[in-house]
Amino acid sequence: MTFDTSTRPEHIQGILSSLDRYNPETVTIFQDYVQQQCENRTYDSLANLALLKLYQFNPHLTRDETITNILVKALTVFPSADFGLCLHLLPANALTEPPIDPFAEAVLKLFSLSRLLEACEYREFWMTLESDDLYADLITDCAGFEELIRLRIASTTAQSNREINRELLEGWLNLTADGFESFIKGSCGWAIEGDVVKIPLNKENEAKTTVTRENVKFDQFQRVIKRAYEQPA
Amino acid sequence: MLAGQNFNGTNRHLREDSDTDDEVLASTLVEEALRDDGDYDDLESAGGSLQISGENIQQRLAAAATPLDFQAPLQNRFDSYDNYCTLFHFILNSDGPVDLELPTYYWAWDVIDEFIYQFNSFCSHRNAVARKEGGGSEEERRLLCDHPQTWGCYSVLNVLYSLIQRSQMNEQLAAIKKGQDPNEVAGEYGSRPLYRMLGYFSIIGLLRVHCLLGDFTLALKTLDDIELNKKAVFARVMAAHFTTYYYVGVSYMMMRRYADAIKAFSHILVYVSRTKNFQKNAQFDSVTKKNDQMYALIAICVALCPTRLDDTIHASLREKYGEQFTKMQRGGPDALQIYEQLFMSACPKFISPIPPDFDKPENNVDPSQHHLRVFMADVRNSMLAPTLKSYLKLYTTMDLKKLAAFIEVDPEVLRTQLLVYKQRSRQTRWIEGGLLEGETINTSDLDFALQGDLIHISEAKVGRRLVDWYLRNLAKTY
Repeated sequence: MTFDTSTRPEHIQGILSSLDRYNPETVTIFQDYVQQQCENRTYDSLANLALLKLYQFNPHLTRDETITNILVKALTVFPSADFGLCLHLLPANALTEPPIDPFAEAVLKLFSLSRLLEACEYREFWMTLESDDLYADLITDCAGFEELIRLRIASTTAQSNREINRELLEGWLNLTADGFESFIKGSCGWAIEGDVVKIPLNKENEAKTTVTRENVKFDQFQRVIKRAYEQPA
Repeated sequence: MLAGQNFNGTNRHLREDSDTDDEVLASTLVEEALRDDGDYDDLESAGGSLQISGENIQQRLAAAATPLDFQAPLQNRFDSYDNYCTLFHFILNSDGPVDLELPTYYWAWDVIDEFIYQFNSFCSHRNAVARKEGGGSEEERRLLCDHPQTWGCYSVLNVLYSLIQRSQMNEQLAAIKKGQDPNEVAGEYGSRPLYRMLGYFSIIGLLRVHCLLGDFTLALKTLDDIELNKKAVFARVMAAHFTTYYYVGVSYMMMRRYADAIKAFSHILVYVSRTKNFQKNAQFDSVTKKNDQMYALIAICVALCPTRLDDTIHASLREKYGEQFTKMQRGGPDALQIYEQLFMSACPKFISPIPPDFDKPENNVDPSQHHLRVFMADVRNSMLAPTLKSYLKLYTTMDLKKLAAFIEVDPEVLRTQLLVYKQRSRQTRWIEGGLLEGETINTSDLDFALQGDLIHISEAKVGRRLVDWYLRNLAKTY
């Protein structure tokens, strides 16, 4: 869950913290805000969930395109639970197989992308993304989608790896040659040595053995000491 | 007072059990009828003089807090809805605050609880009828179709929010938090027990409604002003205490914050197991079924996020769900079915806020199935984790290919599974502040890092605990 509210405009904050979040008239404001997030590469999960809730209550106002945009935005913050939280607010028949309408089909496609990302099957993710033009249509509104996903893949990679085979990582990031090198050196700040990419140590990939020692408080001995005083010498 | 009459002779926890056999029900009915009579006498003596426009308000108050029969015909559900509407309208929209004594101190909880319960079961029933699963008659379908507004989501939320606003409850709680006198901000309404209690429990009610609708984020956000501890007001009413933690736990679980969910469930389960000997009353009975459900949920959470439980909880868990728990902990495809079964039996009956599509039964899906599907995506992702963990525990360094050969999977599959393991062990956990806040922590006692194909494994060990042992022996020798 991402609670970065620094980019949230005041009028959105105003709606979210009042009962206006249930007012169907605010739908258009939230829709514009989703559009804005897509263009500016920002992300506001609470506002997006509020819009999905408005749709949930007022199905006649639903705009399929906005919902899929919200889902696409939620993909860019994996592995947080956001994508799932959005799905929970969709109509219950949105995930039935086979899909009942084109919208359900789009949702199912995005759901499969989300599962690939969560299962860390990055190479398959990119292959699936390129396998069908429908995917291209779905992500077209979300500026820098591929870049944002790459950054997330890089961060999960850095969690588990200190060194990784270059070819493997190229597949994960769907980048080769110059594009790969500039991403690794520029965006990630990692080093390439021959066919190995070296990732600097961080808190997550150190894997240091720790021993949690018992924390002994003086209070625990209170009774023993008291007894010692009370005991006749 | 149609509704009032029909309320007699039902029992809350039995009613939730649709499969209870009639014999038990019949014998309980007798007891229940006797008990109900007693309650009604109390009410009359508490405020017999209160009459509004010729109607007996006390009877309405009592009716509002009395459980509706599980199998009550549709007409009763409609009547009951009207009854609530009139009652809340009277409480909220009279000229100035209504002067009423609370029949009992837990009356306010009972009303909100029953109000939401009826809303919940009405929506579930309506959905089942539309799916043609509940065996609803044609007449029922028509009736439901013609009254889409009854038990509408907006009106239920409206009642809860209005009660909170009238009593200035959020302002009062904020004042308490800051150490100020809540009465200064309570206003004309909020300073009266009736409004104060209704307002307070409406917050818990909102938590529940949001959770039922699948909005788990908002559910937890609703409790921003309430501090979850034993001193909280809700802790004085056992059922409220219990319900709050159940829904908080479910919400955390659905947000994949298993560590927090386990903490919420074990808090209340420990509390119940310690106090059950003092709580042999009807209020406690209603808790029994939910209690078992929580054990099922905590089993799911612990299987997904291995955690050491309190000894008493662990023992009861083994007793109630031992076999399922072992299977889930072992992982693998066989476990999936167990997860599904436990989820469906232990989660609340999720609802959809809008009336179903009566013309196209095939278009209606049970909301619980929908949530299950989303939840299972995360469960499926963790099926290899137990096996992985059992192997990793044995080594400090290990070659990826060699381990892959042991587990009999492709080395690249193993690599992604390791990434998944790492990713899933990093969870947001609450430290302080609102329930949604938290920091990312490592929930696993096992950690590793890949250097090419070499796995470095580390363990977070807990040192021996000597102080307890030392103190106990010291006490013996003295």
